[in-house]
Amino acid sequence: MQTGTQARKYRLQGAGLDLALPYLMLAPGLMVVLGVLVYPLWDGLRASTRAYRYGSPISNVGFQNYVQLWSDAQFLNSLWVTVKFVALSVSIEAVLGFALALFCLHEFRGIRLLRTVLIIPMVITPVVVAILFRLIYASDAGMLTALSEAMGGGGVQILGNPLNAFIGLVVLDVWEWTPLMFLILLAGLQSLPHEPFEAARVDGAGSWRVFADLTFPMMRPVLAVAIVLRTIDAFGTFDQVFVLTRGGPGEATRLISIYGYDTAFKFQQTGYAAALFVTIGLVVLALAFSAIRLLRRVDAS
Amino acid sequence: MMHSSRLTRRSVIKGGLGLALATTALTTLGLPMPAKAAGKKVIIGAFADGGLTPFKEKIIPLAKEQGFDIQFLEDEYGVTLEKWFADAQSGAGQYDLYLLDDPWVPQFGAANVLEDLGAGGIDGSDKDWIGPMIDMGYWPPQQGPRVKGFENAKPTLICVPFVGDLQTLTYRNDVFTGGAPKTWDEVIAKGKEGVAAGKIKYPVVFRGVSGNPIVTSWYPVFLSFGGSFFDDKWNPIFNSAEGKASADFFVGTMKQNAPSGVVEFDSDQEGAAILGGEAGAIIQYSGNALKADDPAQTKVAGKLDFGVVPKQEKAIAQMGIFIAGVPKSAPNKANSIEFLKWYVSAETQAKLSEAGSIPVKRSAFGVAKPGNRLIPVALQQLDAGALPRPRTPDWAKVEELLGIELNKALQAGSGGGAALDTAAKQVKDYLTTVGYY
Repeated sequence: MQTGTQARKYRLQGAGLDLALPYLMLAPGLMVVLGVLVYPLWDGLRASTRAYRYGSPISNVGFQNYVQLWSDAQFLNSLWVTVKFVALSVSIEAVLGFALALFCLHEFRGIRLLRTVLIIPMVITPVVVAILFRLIYASDAGMLTALSEAMGGGGVQILGNPLNAFIGLVVLDVWEWTPLMFLILLAGLQSLPHEPFEAARVDGAGSWRVFADLTFPMMRPVLAVAIVLRTIDAFGTFDQVFVLTRGGPGEATRLISIYGYDTAFKFQQTGYAAALFVTIGLVVLALAFSAIRLLRRVDAS
Repeated sequence: MMHSSRLTRRSVIKGGLGLALATTALTTLGLPMPAKAAGKKVIIGAFADGGLTPFKEKIIPLAKEQGFDIQFLEDEYGVTLEKWFADAQSGAGQYDLYLLDDPWVPQFGAANVLEDLGAGGIDGSDKDWIGPMIDMGYWPPQQGPRVKGFENAKPTLICVPFVGDLQTLTYRNDVFTGGAPKTWDEVIAKGKEGVAAGKIKYPVVFRGVSGNPIVTSWYPVFLSFGGSFFDDKWNPIFNSAEGKASADFFVGTMKQNAPSGVVEFDSDQEGAAILGGEAGAIIQYSGNALKADDPAQTKVAGKLDFGVVPKQEKAIAQMGIFIAGVPKSAPNKANSIEFLKWYVSAETQAKLSEAGSIPVKRSAFGVAKPGNRLIPVALQQLDAGALPRPRTPDWAKVEELLGIELNKALQAGSGGGAALDTAAKQVKDYLTTVGYY
């Protein structure tokens, strides 16, 4: 039998631990988030308001770095190249991914194997993908040149021509990331209710009508999420360009990530590069919010 | 009695502790056991380059005999500058010695992240050094213009030459039968004859990728036409009449006599072209030249010879040496300096020369059996003329701006002079922004 004092002690210990436990459990995770996310973000914002020389901060310049960006021809060019790259790649990936998802929705012999094969590109390391495409595109010993010469043609110029290099980069991205779009959209298609489709079939609706009036409208939210995710991801494309073209020829494939990397690490303009990345972060954030708002408006209507 | 599967506080804490212990145990077991030190440890960082092969194969074993435990860490050229600069500046202490490309010395010097090797006992005034090479180890430079903030600073020896690389001409002796072509016109004219005779596919091959590669290929042409890069006040003057003529020749005549894909060529493709028997001549550093007599690495062993770079006005090559610096954050600083003292001694340099690398001490050029036919030619080139790139901490940016414009002109096959005008304006604007004037 417990005395009154002992019972009160145990009760207090239990209640105190109960109250503190959730915070104790959260503490390690919170520390990690503060250390690797919040502090670097704060430090990056602080760096973006400073001028650096030889890798060290020398003065506070307020928003001058941000202002300077908009008169920097190289920044504006790389931003434009990035926007073109993202728009083209993500559009093609969305269309192809949707088509593949619709095709793979059908059950037939070998469909499981086909679905597996289709997602292989996205699980390959981006650097490896870039090296593979370099072996395909290289004008001196690339596979395309070998094929062309075997058929009596000449060397194929991909990486040495601005337009071809840009298209080559888009092809690489589409090859690698269409599977992600396909996977998200296939999951979306498989989760759609069957009843409306059965009803439409009973009413004699054709495939196109079913797609236009049912599948596409019902898939719009999933499609929007997939596009937003890929857009954010595509804005950060780095590895493939770094290995394949390093931004060349000229500045034809110089994405903002490459320009920012060079500015920060090669040219030691840390503050300016920080301002650049903060600006891009805000642009991507604005795009994501716009897409989500658009999605809500579509849903509401 | 029923067992409850309810999640309790006790079970969560027990599970968490168990998981933490298991993770720690697995991590500990998975980590390699630190090897017992085999001597005085020196961690060397280098970029991958054939020019270091003799050092790796012949000198590192000698260093081990001297009691040094060398760890040689290689990376791609394109990432080493930023990686090492970050290491030095953050004080991470991942390396004891960097084998830098010489244009990087000013950037490290201006940031004050390298040890004073003179204070460490390395004699920069030793007359046996190749003068222009040891000069590159000082910051601020002993001669020539200095950037703002360093006008009155005392030059300090922060790096020492490691491998004395410089550009020379590699040519096919069955195409240029009268010896090394003396002028660029001869390179093209005789090269065309070689193409017509079916001996080669292209008179000349070079690097066309924007940035460092294209500037490296254009630079000896520019120097041979008599161009100068900056004036004494850091104003770009590379777009002079001589500079423009060199750029027009480079993107016009040289491109017409090179593979159509030369715009995307880097040192790998350039090397493959000469070693594979397709090119008549290339200007290059020693990396590929060291493979010229090895039938396992070239299809034209015995047909490759070396000479001084061709001239238009002069025959001046670009000097691009490997140069060693010890970061202030080096964990084995004393070992590194001791290693460097041993490495740059006349005896070790003679061994380096015998191993096939271009030494950094003049006496080592005179060894009885240099390990490569290139070594005496390198000395001829040094005597004919070899210049380093301008000693500015902002060279990486300057090279990038110029390289992009030259690459655009190369794609077009014309407009080299106009490209230099554009680049000169961009360089001037950039240097103005960072306070040069």
